[in-house]
Amino acid sequence: MAPNSVTQTNVIDQEAERIREDLLRPLFRTSWRFYTVVGVLVAIGLPGLAAFIYQSYSGLGVAGLSNPVFWGFYITNFVFWIGISHAGTLISAILRLVNAGWRRPVTRCAEAITVFALVIGGQFPVIHLGRPWLFFWLIPYPSERHIWPNFRSPLLWDFLAISTYITGSVTFLLLPIIPDWATVRDRSTGLRKRIYTVLALGWQGTPREWHRLETAMSIMTVAIIPVAVSVHSIVSWDFAMALVPGWHSTVFGPYFVVGAIFSGIAALIIAMALLRKFLHLEEYLTPVHFNNLGKLLLLMSLLWFYFVFAERLTVWYGNETAEMPGFWSVQRGQFAGLFWTMVACNFLIPFPILAIKKLRTITGTVIASATVVVGMWLERFLIVVPSLEHKFLPYNWGSYRPTWVEITIMVGTAAGMVLLYVLFAKFVPIISMWELRGGEHATAAEVAARGVVGRSGAVPDATLLGTNG
Amino acid sequence: MAHQWGMVIDLDRCTGCEACVVACHAENNIATVSPEEAARGRTMHWIHVERHWEGEYPNVRARFRPVLCQQCGAAPCEPVCPTYASYHTAEGLNAQVYNRCIGTRYCANACPYTVRVFNWFSPEWDKPLHLQLNPDVSVREGGVMEKCTFCSQRITAAEIHAQAENRELRDGDVTPACVQSCPAGAMVFGDLSDPTSQVSRLARLARGSKLLEELGTLPAITYLERE
Amino acid sequence: MRRRDFLKIAAVGGAAVTIDGCGDHATQLIHFIPEETLIPGLAVWRPGVCNQCSAGCGLQVKVMQGDAEVVRNGQSGLIKMGLAKKLEGNPQHPVNHGKLCARGQAGLQVTYNPDRIQQPLKRTGERGAGQFARIGWDEAIENLVTHLSPLASEHPPQSLAFLTRPLMGQRRTLVERFLSGFNGAQMVSFEPFDDSVLREANRLSFGHSQLPTFDLARSNYVVCFGADFLGTWNSPVAHNVGYGAMRQGRPGNRGKFVQVECRMSQTGANADEWIPAQLGTEGHLALAFAHVIVNEHLVKAESAGTAGSRIDGWSKGLPDYSPDAVARKTGVAAEIITRLAREMVTAGSGVAIVGGAPLAQTNGLFTALAVNALNELLGGVGRPGGVCFSPGLPLDESKRRPANAAEPRLISVRTFAEQVLSAREPDTIKVLLVNGANPVFAAPTGWRVREALDKVPFIVSFGNFLDETSNLADLILPDHSYLESWMDDVPESGTVDAVLSIAPPAMLSLHETRALPDVLLDVSRHLGGEASKALPWKSYEEMLQATFTPLRHSVGSIAADTDEEFWGKLKQQGGWWSSNRVGPPKSSPPVASFAPVKSEDPTWDGAATEYPFQFLPYVSQQFLDGTHANLSWLQELPEVLSTAIWSSWVEINPQTAARLAIGQGDLVEVSSQHGRVRAPAVLSPGIAPDVLAMPAGQGHEEYGRYATGRGANPVHVLAPQMATATGSLAWASTRVKVARVGSGDLILFSGGPTEFRAEKLSR
Repeated sequence: MAPNSVTQTNVIDQEAERIREDLLRPLFRTSWRFYTVVGVLVAIGLPGLAAFIYQSYSGLGVAGLSNPVFWGFYITNFVFWIGISHAGTLISAILRLVNAGWRRPVTRCAEAITVFALVIGGQFPVIHLGRPWLFFWLIPYPSERHIWPNFRSPLLWDFLAISTYITGSVTFLLLPIIPDWATVRDRSTGLRKRIYTVLALGWQGTPREWHRLETAMSIMTVAIIPVAVSVHSIVSWDFAMALVPGWHSTVFGPYFVVGAIFSGIAALIIAMALLRKFLHLEEYLTPVHFNNLGKLLLLMSLLWFYFVFAERLTVWYGNETAEMPGFWSVQRGQFAGLFWTMVACNFLIPFPILAIKKLRTITGTVIASATVVVGMWLERFLIVVPSLEHKFLPYNWGSYRPTWVEITIMVGTAAGMVLLYVLFAKFVPIISMWELRGGEHATAAEVAARGVVGRSGAVPDATLLGTNG
Repeated sequence: MAHQWGMVIDLDRCTGCEACVVACHAENNIATVSPEEAARGRTMHWIHVERHWEGEYPNVRARFRPVLCQQCGAAPCEPVCPTYASYHTAEGLNAQVYNRCIGTRYCANACPYTVRVFNWFSPEWDKPLHLQLNPDVSVREGGVMEKCTFCSQRITAAEIHAQAENRELRDGDVTPACVQSCPAGAMVFGDLSDPTSQVSRLARLARGSKLLEELGTLPAITYLERE
Repeated sequence: MRRRDFLKIAAVGGAAVTIDGCGDHATQLIHFIPEETLIPGLAVWRPGVCNQCSAGCGLQVKVMQGDAEVVRNGQSGLIKMGLAKKLEGNPQHPVNHGKLCARGQAGLQVTYNPDRIQQPLKRTGERGAGQFARIGWDEAIENLVTHLSPLASEHPPQSLAFLTRPLMGQRRTLVERFLSGFNGAQMVSFEPFDDSVLREANRLSFGHSQLPTFDLARSNYVVCFGADFLGTWNSPVAHNVGYGAMRQGRPGNRGKFVQVECRMSQTGANADEWIPAQLGTEGHLALAFAHVIVNEHLVKAESAGTAGSRIDGWSKGLPDYSPDAVARKTGVAAEIITRLAREMVTAGSGVAIVGGAPLAQTNGLFTALAVNALNELLGGVGRPGGVCFSPGLPLDESKRRPANAAEPRLISVRTFAEQVLSAREPDTIKVLLVNGANPVFAAPTGWRVREALDKVPFIVSFGNFLDETSNLADLILPDHSYLESWMDDVPESGTVDAVLSIAPPAMLSLHETRALPDVLLDVSRHLGGEASKALPWKSYEEMLQATFTPLRHSVGSIAADTDEEFWGKLKQQGGWWSSNRVGPPKSSPPVASFAPVKSEDPTWDGAATEYPFQFLPYVSQQFLDGTHANLSWLQELPEVLSTAIWSSWVEINPQTAARLAIGQGDLVEVSSQHGRVRAPAVLSPGIAPDVLAMPAGQGHEEYGRYATGRGANPVHVLAPQMATATGSLAWASTRVKVARVGSGDLILFSGGPTEFRAEKLSR
């Protein structure tokens, strides 16, 4: 169903126009705040880049890695960001698939997180290489020496899965932006008009085009879910395939996927809250959205807890010689502080906040999400490092302390992630305008009756969860 | 039939003298890394002698076990390498192609014996220590994984030598530097595909076992336990 | 600015000046190919003689052609030369049978050491300030001759001394002959952790003043008192070869090995039974074994012969050494004593070994004689599986010295220092020549060596490196490394054959150095007179040839028709050894006038109340007495028990440490009445609760970039106490106290826990 096929009332026309104005405001007006934010983020990000150049020049030894802890912060961050990337595509695809009407203002924020988290996360395998300038040897291209990459290596699966995922996610993100860019094109002049003309790819809004868009989105929705699941499963197999006590576990695939969605939702909630505040989107990103995402987060928190419990319990009960030193170092050794912080962050704190309806407010969900993001980062760290410190032969155990280089790069890339997101919100309407309208058209009658859409936040569930969008 | 190189280490003979360790350094251009780097666990030993304490004073014992690359038949390090830098040779060696290595360090994580070492920095030799470098062995640059090769350069040299004399390799023609140096004769090297070779005969002894045998890595090194 | 930074800047500045001064750099390079025998890429193996300890192992040196940057006559250039690439044992050599220890392998880094002295140096600053100017050889020799020529004639006696580590082979003869040209010149021999007590005991017991050789390969039972014979003591490579064969070389017959010591050494770690006995009571334990053997009539007491007669009460069945009495003294249970004594006899062939700390006590001679007697009682002396003494070369020893020359006085560093410092003989010593000895580092502070050296007007060092002693020199005439020199040695032990190790230089000298023997020959020629008459040879090579070609007439490993042929083969083979195994050598007539030793307890320096711990310095597996601390391979070689690298440390029993609140790696201070030393703690389950042990070798104040400022020197706490019989240092007789003073900088190779059990690892 295309918007222009619907009879439009005046009220709705006005309302639609107001939505457009609200959502396009950031694109047309640039405040000093924007420059400040960009400036600060660049200032944090550049040292990270400098640190990476320094590391490439001096040698990976400037990081805190050693024999036998060959992986540390970089791989932790890699897994963390790939996990965050499950915010978008997977969530929005699932919501699209089950046709949850309330998803409409949420999907684009989420999908953008996916793309940028992948961009950031995907850098870490290169940053962590001993000879990063040769990263392209991971790419299966026909070389003159007929040397292909090793398709048996989980790292290559990683490369393929992530590149597939990022291709899919970008497509998934860009397709529904096209009509919105067309809107921008139609409303702008000069250089901006020329740029958006190119970006809009000649979108005219004909029924044919709408039909094709809908079809493409339906296909992508179905296709992206298995890709997303596979990506984090494969990331988990980087560990599970290696013969390292504490890594070699069948539960890692689903455990990682659940953790990824978990951290993704948390990242999404935080992003939404910030967008809501800074872009004045209070009318569009309502407590209902936070409430609903909060419920999802609660579900994932429970699932996460179940997986952690299952993984820890079986290791403990199995009591294998090689597994136990690493296990105990996490449960009550030098990593116990981090472990229990993680449990608090991922379960003990968010669970009550999210389970008690009164606390599941915007503030409540944001607090819960913040702890979850921290907790999930710790979880990645606790998977990577303690196991490597305690491999089979105790004589060779080692320890790991990150250096300023790793921390600078980590902070810098995080700033890079936020910067990309800020710029995205600057050049793209962060809420899909046409989809929002599509959702509302369905209940035109009610809207007309109330005269207001999505203002008070007390929109009846029937509207938000409308099924004919 | 291709040779299958293997080793037997008799722990009843090994006295922990570590002659093998220095022999390996001298033969294979292994750099020393400085005290600061050593303190971070970044020494480059291809072979080390593990020491395990048993019991408490006065009923205390120490046991030694030289550990080097076990040249596994089913090596966990090989499939995980995305660039084939780590691969299996026809003669059963877990080879490492330094030029192919991009430094993912995945192989070292996968190795249960922790015998792969990484060049965290490019190695340096205070002049004129570089004059000692063995021209038969390449010097590795920073960012590259390296490991015991069973002294493949010595294997090649012995093969060329045999070829020049128009004969097959004989048992004992090849001795890696560690084996050559071992004063107590604890290490024996040879062709496991030849059932009459000394290494094959020793590997069949009842005292023999493989390190972490239960992992199914099929090591080419057999340890003969202390009696 | 730290000194090292300064050196770096100076080096960079120097390099810049060099490049600047050259103009067209390439045209300044000298290119020449000195050795036509080498083919690029192909290795040749040349013989060598290992100089890393006094065992005298034979080497094979792998030499390949390479480009070396060298300086000759002030001009730098690139030359193609043969470079030593690898050291291996000489497979034919009767001592080491083709094998070489870790320290021997690391010998390459002596030659290529970046801190080698590259040409003669003359002191310019204050003595000890380390300021030297580079000078040419002509000037250097002239300088030395100027200082020596007055001493050669009318000067009062004892105005020249030669301070050296024990000299190998003909070097000793050459130096003795050189000194004979001076009136009463003294030879000052210095070897930390020396074995003079054991040599004296062997002289008394067996008539051989030398270290013993053990036939471990054929031994069924080895009981060792304190000697780290598989690690550092006597002839370790030979011992390892024999040990391997003893364990697994005879199918169905695995020899048993018992080690008695209070701190587990690398050797002790291999023992079937490790018996911690009270330090200094090992002699009593040995006699308790003898007591059981004799009183249970397993062996007749008389069979111990002379060795037995050295022990008071031997013929009466050693009544003072009953297992019960000795158990109280040693801390070893009486049942264990009885059981082990019976085992020794029933095993068939057994050998007792003693060395190291038990002999570095005031009662060391008693202990050594006791073990010797036990050995003789076990029937092992001169028999398969036992102990014997290597025969010397079948050469006429009377030719060693010119007929009229007096033997130079051999004194210890302690005596030397006393003599210099004593007011009665002021300023006696005019010139001191130093070769390879570093007493400033390795002699106890109480000997006041440093002060004595300050009083010597002119010190000449032949060292390769600036160390604590050569840093005090006025003139340094750097020696070749041992791969660049003619080397020869007659191993004192480690073989039952008569062995000569000899080898020509394996490579040309890398720097503008000269071999000590040739320098002495040159100097004696300049001096003329008596000095030159004693040394008629043009070169050291000529001297060696003249000395050793007579071996052609003895039955040995070389058959040759002419002297030239013999000499050629000798050079090629890296030595000569008697081909038929010489049987147990005849004992020299026993020394008659020696009162049998009575039971003697060790005297400890310091009261047990104030200083509750016995302090045990030990020879380092890596650096021995510290000579090898400047080799980076050895600094980075984990000490096999503690796994420490680039460190020194104090070993403490875990229970003691817990009582004193000392944790692994904590910095502790060990102090005695004579000094203190700080080092990180290593909690070791293999040490007695009342003993603190510390490896020697680290704590250099001046010894190149790898050793300087690294770790601590245990010698600083040692009491200048003597083993009564020989006057050598009783280095294991000091009592100390210990306290935690902070956190340390221990570097361990193994990151694992110490308490892990091996049985979980295999199978």
